[in-house]
This record gives sequence, structure tokens and C-alpha cells, in this order.
Amino acid sequence: MLKLDEASLVLVDNLQRRYIEALDRRDMELWLDCFTQDAASSYFCISAENVERGLDIALMYDDCRARLIDRVTFITKVWAGTFQPYRMRHLVQRIGTPTLEHGKLNVVSNFSIATTPKGGGSSLLAVGYYEDTVALDRGEPRFLCKRAVYDTTVLPRYIVYPF
Amino acid sequence: MNATIQWPKAVNEIPKAIFTDAALYEREIETIFHGAQWHPLAHRAEIPNRGDFKTMLLGRMPVIVANGEDGRIRVFFNSCTHRGNQVETASCGNRKAFECPYHRWMFRTTGELAGCPGTDEFSPGFDKKNYGLRELRTAEYCGLIFATASADTPPLETWIGGVAETLAGALGGDGRLKLLGYQKVRYASNWKAYSDNDGYHAPLLHVGFRLLGWQGGQGSQKPTANGHLGFESQLKPVVNRDFLKDPSLIDLKATDPESGSRIAQLFPHTVITKHMDVINVRFATPVSVDCTEVHYAYFSHVDDSEELVRHRIRQSSNLLGPCGMVSMEDASIFNRIHIGSFTPGNAEFQKGVKRTDEVWFDVKQNDESGNLPKWDYYSRLMGFKRSEEA
Repeated sequence: MLKLDEASLVLVDNLQRRYIEALDRRDMELWLDCFTQDAASSYFCISAENVERGLDIALMYDDCRARLIDRVTFITKVWAGTFQPYRMRHLVQRIGTPTLEHGKLNVVSNFSIATTPKGGGSSLLAVGYYEDTVALDRGEPRFLCKRAVYDTTVLPRYIVYPF
Repeated sequence: MNATIQWPKAVNEIPKAIFTDAALYEREIETIFHGAQWHPLAHRAEIPNRGDFKTMLLGRMPVIVANGEDGRIRVFFNSCTHRGNQVETASCGNRKAFECPYHRWMFRTTGELAGCPGTDEFSPGFDKKNYGLRELRTAEYCGLIFATASADTPPLETWIGGVAETLAGALGGDGRLKLLGYQKVRYASNWKAYSDNDGYHAPLLHVGFRLLGWQGGQGSQKPTANGHLGFESQLKPVVNRDFLKDPSLIDLKATDPESGSRIAQLFPHTVITKHMDVINVRFATPVSVDCTEVHYAYFSHVDDSEELVRHRIRQSSNLLGPCGMVSMEDASIFNRIHIGSFTPGNAEFQKGVKRTDEVWFDVKQNDESGNLPKWDYYSRLMGFKRSEEA
């Protein structure tokens, strides 16, 4: 059981580090491994503008584990060779006060993602915040739900990888 | 004019330099975006209530699309009639009135100047009636709001012409839509490369189509003489559903199975598409010679069941946007066309090209020759003369 204590929060921060490391390495299997095996495991990437207006369209809308797996298939197999690879560097900082609900921790973190195309300079890809629900799964904390809300009203390029 | 760019004689060729020439881009803004064309700026569903507004750029000119207190939708220049200050800074919202903060001139949502402090000391003959927000010519088709800065633009129905039916079909048949949300992105591409997708590429670039065994059914392309292009094709059920863990994402649930895909490409660069259960208007802005901003607006139909709305939301979010399952690759291509266009010579169209001396309008579903009438229209509009030599 996760608790509202220092030890649990250290575990959650470790999970967050694993998550951004997976994305910075563009290792989608590792990304998938950050989510629980619960069929309801979900990931959403949505603009703050839509959220503020109560609009549900997202940039990525993976409302079940099967969708998470399909996203990995598309990035690693279907789209292979059609996009220009771009490097990412995620910076994450947990903010606010975590809350506990039926043994699951709800945490909020700010994120900032810098991007560097092959042979190009670095720039900001997106900034925003994660709203995460973390549960114990296979003995480790994993995301039951991760929601990336980005402030970047107009994204600077087409997007391949989750935030 | 166009001294350095020579338009080739063969109608299936276009000079690559037109995608990268900054001076040409400036002329396009004046001739096309500020000129005698209609430009879709909003759908009524984005501003359904009185007082709702949305700000946009028409070419380079900031405009407000406002649903007035009288329920009429108008398009105004977003510029105070006093000193030219930008009146509204929000991208959307609801107002009882538009106020310019500089000298507190206040405009009603119908555009009239309601108040301005200190009129006693204004110039002789000053009359508030002459100082309403400047209104552009506006017209509406299936809820889509068009504006034009030119008095010479033909009536909207004439301008839409042969793509009217495809456009209506893409907008749910009657345009009675509800806004679901946006995806907004910038592409590192000239606006003409962004809007030059063809019927040839779909089964080739989009591996997703192939893996799903999803080749589509019978279809057609209809180009018009003024640069529009309508695509319609049936969508057969997906053969290889096992490829996806969650095939429900690509279910076809709405009541338009005969023609699963309808795309209206309106000159110069607006795409309105209905693919599977996705209803999507792509409002585009030519930000600079090498940058195009696109606001993907998604809709449901007002008669949809709650279940269908949920389905549209998850399908729309994942299928056709800037990271969509069968569209992300398009975005990558826009950028690569732009980079490749800095090399000399012409780009060519081959698939479906029957002759090279003049354009024609009878085009098959997977031809790329459907783009040629638009290029012919564009070249004449911009004053290019075809080379005498092949």
C-alpha cells in the first residue's frame, strides 16, 4: 500500500524519473512499463486551452491499456522511417500536496520538454503539468493514470512521442 | 515580377522555388489572403452563443469573429477605429462588449461604437455612427463562417462551386455541429506544401492503412477551376483488426457508411474532412514563408447520442491530427518538401497524368493529377507565365 509518507513519495519520484528517462531514450517499451497492467491504465496528453474550456479532445487519448500498447506499436513499427527523429530532454518537478485515495497516490508535477532535432539547435517543445494517479503494481509504483496538460497553446512541430 | 522564377511549360511541373521565395510569399499575402478569395475563419459551433467570439488572422490581418447580441455572426478587423489598437487579445471567450483599454472606446458585439470618453472636445463633425468596428464581407455555408477583405470576391456559393456537396457532407450534411476541441500546431513548411496532399500518397505513405488491410473502397476526386478539390471515398470495414489491441478505436459508428471519407480542400489552404467518424476543420494561417499554423477543430453532430460523442472524441484525438495514427506522416512530409525545395528545378506530378499541355478535370481516386488544376489556377492568379520551351 502506498501511503502519504516520505518513503512512498521517494518511490513515486523514482517512477517519475524512470518515466522521463524512458522518453528521453525514446524507449517505448520502458515507457509502457511505467503503467500498471490494469486494463483501465490510461494516458492523456491534452492542451490546457481545451481543459480550461471543458473540451475533451486531446492530442493523445489512450483511455485503456490496450490503447497504450497500440501507441507503442504505431511509434515503433507503423511510423518507423517516416519521421525525422528528435531528441527530447524532460525536466520534472513535483509540486503541490499529494493526496491518498484507496491506497493510490495522486501527485502533480510540472514538466518542461526541450527538443533537439538531428543536426539542429535546442528549443522548447512543450511545458505543462502532469496529473498522475500512482498505484502499486507488481510490487512497484506505476501509473494507473497519467495526464499531461500542456500550456503550449500552439505546438512548435508535429508530435511523435508522448509528453 | 517573378523575374527569377520561371514557370515550366508542362502542366505537371511546378518550380520548387515557389515554396521558399520570401518575396513571392509577400505577394501571396496581398493577392490571395488579402485578395478576392473567401477564407473560412470559424464554424458557428465554436461561437454558438450571443457574445461568443474567436480571434483569428486573415493573412496577416487580425480579425474578430463575433456572435453579436442580435444573434448574427460578423467578422471585424481587430483594431480600434480610434488609434488602431488591437481591441481583443483573447483567442476566444464571451463578451457583453469589446473595450479598447487605451482610451476606453467601447464597441457593442454588433460592432457599433457604444461609447468613447471626452467627445465634447473631439474634431468638428465627429459622429459615433462612423466609428463602429470595420466589418468584413462575411458569408456562411453549413455553419462555416467565411470572410473576405475584397469587394471583388464572387458570391460564396459561386466560389465554392463544385465542392459544395462534398463540403456539406464533411460538415455532417447540414452543419449542425457541436465543438469537441482543438489540436493546434505549427509546421515548418510553406502553406502551399502543407495544402498539396494528393490521392497517390495515401496507401503508400500511411503504412497504417496497409497493416490494417484498409485500402478503402470506390472513390472519386473532383477538382474545380478555381483551385478547390473534393475527395469522396467509401471506407470498407478494416480487414486486419487483430493488428490493434483496441480495434474499437477505428469503428465506424455514425450514419454515413456509404461514403466514409469526404475531404474538401478549399483554395488556398483550408481542409475540411470527415473521415470515419471524425468531423474536422483545419483552419490554417500562413505565418511566414516557412511556417504554417494549423488549428484542427473537431466536432460532433448535435443529434449524436452520448455514446457516439464519446467515440468521436477518442477517434478524433488519435486518428487524424498532428500525431494521428494515419496523419503524423503527412506532417513529416510537409517539412521535408520544404527542405527539399531549396534545390534547383521543378517538382513533378506523374500519377494519372494523361497529357502535359493543358489541365483536365477527370481524375481517378488515387491520381495525383487532381492537384494540377489548382496549380494552374495559382500560377495564373500570381501572374506567372508558362515557359515557351519544354
